[in-house]
Amino acid sequence: MQHHALDITTATRWDYAPLRPVIGLDIGSRGSKGILLRGDDVFTAFVATGLYMQETADELLASLLAQSGETLDAVGFITGTGYGRISLKYETTPYKVVTEISCHAMGAHAALPETRTIIDIGGQDSKAIKIDPATGKVIEFVMNDKCAAGTGRFLEKAAVLLGIELDELGPVALEAKNPAPVSSQCVVFAESEMISLRARGERNHDLEARANIAAGVHYSAARRVKNLLGRIGIQPGLAFTGGVSNNPGMWRVLEELLGAQFQRPKLDLIYAGALGAAIYAARALATEAPALRAGL
Amino acid sequence: MSSTKIHSLPAAPALPAALASLDALVHSAQDALVRDRSGARKVGYLCNYTPIELLDAAGVLHARLFKGGDTARAAAGEFYTQSVFCDFTKSCIGAFEQGDPLYKAFDKVYSFHTCATMKRAAEVIELFTPTRLLNVPKLRKHDDSRRFFREEVLSFRDDLAALTGNAPVSADALSAAIRERNALRRLLRQISELRRRALPPLSGRQFADIARAYYYVPPALLRPALEEILAAAGATGGAGAAAAGATPIRLLAAGSIIADGDRRILEIVEEELGARIVIEDNCAGARPFHSLVREDGDPFAALADGYLDQSPCARQRPFEDALEFSARLAEQYAVEGVLYVFLKFCACYGVVQKQFIERFNAAGLPVLALSSDYSESDRGQLLTRIEAFIEVLREKRLFAPPPAEPETAGTAANRI
Repeated sequence: MQHHALDITTATRWDYAPLRPVIGLDIGSRGSKGILLRGDDVFTAFVATGLYMQETADELLASLLAQSGETLDAVGFITGTGYGRISLKYETTPYKVVTEISCHAMGAHAALPETRTIIDIGGQDSKAIKIDPATGKVIEFVMNDKCAAGTGRFLEKAAVLLGIELDELGPVALEAKNPAPVSSQCVVFAESEMISLRARGERNHDLEARANIAAGVHYSAARRVKNLLGRIGIQPGLAFTGGVSNNPGMWRVLEELLGAQFQRPKLDLIYAGALGAAIYAARALATEAPALRAGL
Repeated sequence: MSSTKIHSLPAAPALPAALASLDALVHSAQDALVRDRSGARKVGYLCNYTPIELLDAAGVLHARLFKGGDTARAAAGEFYTQSVFCDFTKSCIGAFEQGDPLYKAFDKVYSFHTCATMKRAAEVIELFTPTRLLNVPKLRKHDDSRRFFREEVLSFRDDLAALTGNAPVSADALSAAIRERNALRRLLRQISELRRRALPPLSGRQFADIARAYYYVPPALLRPALEEILAAAGATGGAGAAAAGATPIRLLAAGSIIADGDRRILEIVEEELGARIVIEDNCAGARPFHSLVREDGDPFAALADGYLDQSPCARQRPFEDALEFSARLAEQYAVEGVLYVFLKFCACYGVVQKQFIERFNAAGLPVLALSSDYSESDRGQLLTRIEAFIEVLREKRLFAPPPAEPETAGTAANRI
């Protein structure tokens, strides 16, 4: 999709126009996101992450190039981030890796310049990041342990058990009148808890029970994220990024538990990491690739 | 425009050779212990609070139960424990369960009670090998503690006499062993201190591999090998080298044991990300070599005091000692950040991370807390965390250049 830069930021100016087109690729564990910056134009692309990271990245790249009518030769710099960042390789275009923590920080900063605290929930991990609102740089961060509690994977598993699509899970949860108590933080235990909750649900109230369970699952995941945030503290200027950030159920439950509102972004912040990566690519082009500039 | 890439030193040929020969010594010492048929008794011990001068003086062959980092070995130990034991204690048990030749060779294992988990592990090890538990007082400053620990030291001496069938270790023999171990500690500390240079001639991983030799190689063989390393590493680099390129990000690794074979975090930090662990505050790194045992007076009292007063494990009280020691190391080695690494479920370091983090933060040092184990499944997450932490430190360096590096800092500042 093509956007004008001022349509994706709440700022009134855009300071990130690159010297030449640049690309940020965020290869996540479940979904991969790409952003191409050219002047004040912003192109976005999304594909589900495949088995081979390089193929996924190439798909994103092809989509971005097709949308913008650019060729790879015209691209001055590519920055990779996310789970699959290490696997990528480009022969002719300068490439570097920046962690998704720094990229989400920069992406959130660009889209929502007041941001000081970020909650990033992805497919397999969740992070709380404190950033400097003047620069978009990371001050401090914490990340969940290696288990999947409080991550997209947890929600995905729940959707499967409830027999609905992942993107229905949030809306279904919003219909709940009486969220079910899902106390387990472990996906595996939560699964058996959900099975017994379903078994208890009366037949003719199936839809209601489903909504209640879905809501319970969101609360369980959100409590986990709240604990994480407790370790770095919440400062106003709260942003929600990552693959789970477009789930309206999680959005509401987190706001309720944290007692704070997220800023409303103009860009779907599942692209925060890719946007940050593209901005780092623009900077790298300006500072680290002087030879390329000379060649223009 | 200079790049931010870390320029590695042209390796002085003497250092790799000296490190390789130390490595060979570590292996041959273990092999010699396994194969020895001279009738000498073979002893394993668990913690750094074991006064090994007595093992030296008693003429036993000995080694620390120090191996870790292997998933299968930890899993074998978990057969005997609950899951909430750290992977190191599980590995100590697992090595017996798996029939590791070194562990199998021990006639006896000594466990000086440090943490509760270790004590429990020793009780399981007793299923495989005779094991003796001895106590280490937690309250360092109490006179009673000192008197009591001297008694434990004497009891250890007598137990060794019973094991070997020899007369108990004499005061003179013990004094000689104390001097010998002190000489090794001095050398190891001098080697560690080479890392205070802006361009450390040794990586953290190399130092960890040097330090582990202390627990396997007999002093008479170890001393010349350490002297060789000190000379070779000391000759590497020098004043001019620092100016030649950007210096690596300097880190302190504080926390629980990073056992022999547990090199995952060191690899990520140094080999994948180009930062340097320049000093450790853990019982496998430089910490145990920071203090010496008194060489005059009653050697049994000196040994008891020396071990109680050593740079402390977090299990000791007053706990403030451990915090102060760590903060002092961070300052002496001019680190820019701290990796607080503790094994998952660690009963000592897991529960004091907040105090450590606050103490370092008060000194202006960012801290990354990493709870780790011996599995491989979270390598990607660890890499992400450490990489992001190092990105933060690089960023910080641009705005607050370390005073030791005016030239590099100047170049960096110009770049923004």
